[in-house]
Amino acid sequence: MATTPYDVLIIGSGASGGMTAHTLTKLGIKCLMLDAGPAFDYEKDRSLRAVYDLPYRGFGKPGRFPHITQASEFTAAIWADEKQNPYSYDPKDPYYWVRIRRIGGKTLVWGRASWRLSDLEFKAKDHDGFGDNWPIRYADLAPYYDRCEPLLRVSGRKEGLPQIPDGVFLEDNSPVGPAVARFIAEANKRGIPTTKQRRAQGTLASSMNLLLPDAMATGNLTIVPNAVVREITVDKKTGLVNGVNFVDRRSKRELHAKARVLVVGASTLESTRLLLNSGIANSSGMLGRYLFDQFYVKNTVQAITPETGGGTSYIPRFTNLKSKEKNYLRGYAVDFGGGGTPDPKYFPLYGEPLQKELNEHRGRGFNATTMGSVLPRYENYVRIDKTVVDAWAIPSLHIQARYTDNEFNMAKDAMNTLAELCDASGFQLLEKHDKMVPPGESIHELGTCRMGDNPKTSVLNQWNQAHDVKNLFVVDGSSFVNGGSQNPTLTITALAMRASEYMAEQMRKGDL
Amino acid sequence: MKRRSFTQSLLALPAAPALLGQEIPKIDFSVPDAGAEPVPHFFTAPQLAAVRRLSDLILPSINGTPGALEARAPEFLDFLLGQSPADRKALYRNGLDALNATARRQYAKGFADLDATQADALLAPLHKNWTWDAPTDPLAAFLREAKADVLAATVNSREWISVVSQRSRGASGTSIYWHPIE
Repeated sequence: MATTPYDVLIIGSGASGGMTAHTLTKLGIKCLMLDAGPAFDYEKDRSLRAVYDLPYRGFGKPGRFPHITQASEFTAAIWADEKQNPYSYDPKDPYYWVRIRRIGGKTLVWGRASWRLSDLEFKAKDHDGFGDNWPIRYADLAPYYDRCEPLLRVSGRKEGLPQIPDGVFLEDNSPVGPAVARFIAEANKRGIPTTKQRRAQGTLASSMNLLLPDAMATGNLTIVPNAVVREITVDKKTGLVNGVNFVDRRSKRELHAKARVLVVGASTLESTRLLLNSGIANSSGMLGRYLFDQFYVKNTVQAITPETGGGTSYIPRFTNLKSKEKNYLRGYAVDFGGGGTPDPKYFPLYGEPLQKELNEHRGRGFNATTMGSVLPRYENYVRIDKTVVDAWAIPSLHIQARYTDNEFNMAKDAMNTLAELCDASGFQLLEKHDKMVPPGESIHELGTCRMGDNPKTSVLNQWNQAHDVKNLFVVDGSSFVNGGSQNPTLTITALAMRASEYMAEQMRKGDL
Repeated sequence: MKRRSFTQSLLALPAAPALLGQEIPKIDFSVPDAGAEPVPHFFTAPQLAAVRRLSDLILPSINGTPGALEARAPEFLDFLLGQSPADRKALYRNGLDALNATARRQYAKGFADLDATQADALLAPLHKNWTWDAPTDPLAAFLREAKADVLAATVNSREWISVVSQRSRGASGTSIYWHPIE
């Protein structure tokens, strides 16, 4: 079978790959998309099942996912198998690398939180002197946020808060119960702002249903599942990339695909791994450096409210907005909500007294989870570990990441602030803590292929285009310079859209 | 393009062969526990006796709702622990052995034979508030895990769900299961 010449080859079908395909195909550009995971039918390949019908009663096969705390026995099939996809880290600094290999990627099950970054992140160095600025400012990305939010059907409430710029939302005026309302009032009294969560809506909010179908409808997209990309190939005469070598996931057959332009959107660390394995785009020596994420303190506070009634809300970053006022740089956000019943573990009881207590507190639970900024540091990095290969003999990553006092101090401040708010709201505090989950577990890994104006200190330019190879683009979270406390997916889609339109224009002008 | 037609084109599935107009009857199948008794493999006899007693204390049958014993939680945990990593196996074995040893030392009988007051004295760590960091004391660490496991093994059982789901529609124990793909 003769192969079709493609304009653009896209690696990955998640948020960034999906948005790239959505944008380029509508501009008439022929795209080939490769994804390491299988295709599936969202309706046929999922079904309602009782937990007692599962082999492990919902516990899951012991030891199957030592680093994926999000995996349950119901969802086990979607997470990347850890034996097939190993990686390494120093046992002193565990890293939880969480991946999904299916068409749609992590957008199949993401938390859907959709926040804009502001110039507190884009120009963070200007603000507090640490690290580097992005090569773009908020105004550069704002028009793309405006277009991504309706595509993802983001709901929210406009508040005029500069640290989380307002967007094009489905208006969310859902009420909260009296306990949550009291918590909000206590926060606001102390100058701590609150707002509704901003989330993508719908039964499914994935590139699988929101982006890829429209791209397919143009007739310009070909999707090849089960394509595990081994390396990017380079034309030795021009130094430009010209395609990829990939392995069929099931048969392990080796194939080569060609295109004029290559877009890597395989997820933050997979994209960097691919570039490192290909030996390209690293004249700066920065490829793999400046790994960061958002730290999570799950259930920072767990409390019982005097009355039933739920509702959820959000505290955006509120510290160090105007000047350095804390013993840390930058800040944290908080997801909080009421309703439900606290986990039995929080009650120092067993037997009938425990069940009685649970019944009494049904619908009166309250909890809050902290999500904090992590400073991008050169010392946190990934490199290829040739001694660790995946099921397709592709070398994997060694990951080195460690939180520092900046994050620890921030977590402690969040715990104390939230405990104080619970107390002031008349809640009974069951537990408070400031223990962060291991780096990576938030699944918000960012950096390692960052953008910048200086080719000596960055891998990509402001258009997500490799400084070293002009027909190579990396459009996912690896391009981030700073991340803030906001979930990154919306920004990833906006960057991918912006990069794609630039790419299309360069192709039209014959510069690519 | 609608999602349905999109996924079908993506999968390129051939049409299902016609079955000559036959209607295939749907058969309801059962689970192994419905027609058989589990055979313990992991716990020793004294450990199994202790875990049964512990399970009954953690979640007894209350007002007609099956407890851990009716849900066969101890037998399920025997199976689960048998497949678990070594550190978790050791946590349970050492914890149950410690319960039995303390019971013999203090009351000259195994944990399974203690009355409720005696057993409660040995389960004192369960009366301490939960903390994010696991207790350093091995018995306390075991009891914390066992409490969570016994509760989950019970409320996820067919026996428990079949009764509780009659009272509350939200307690059906069902969720969306993602099928493995080749």
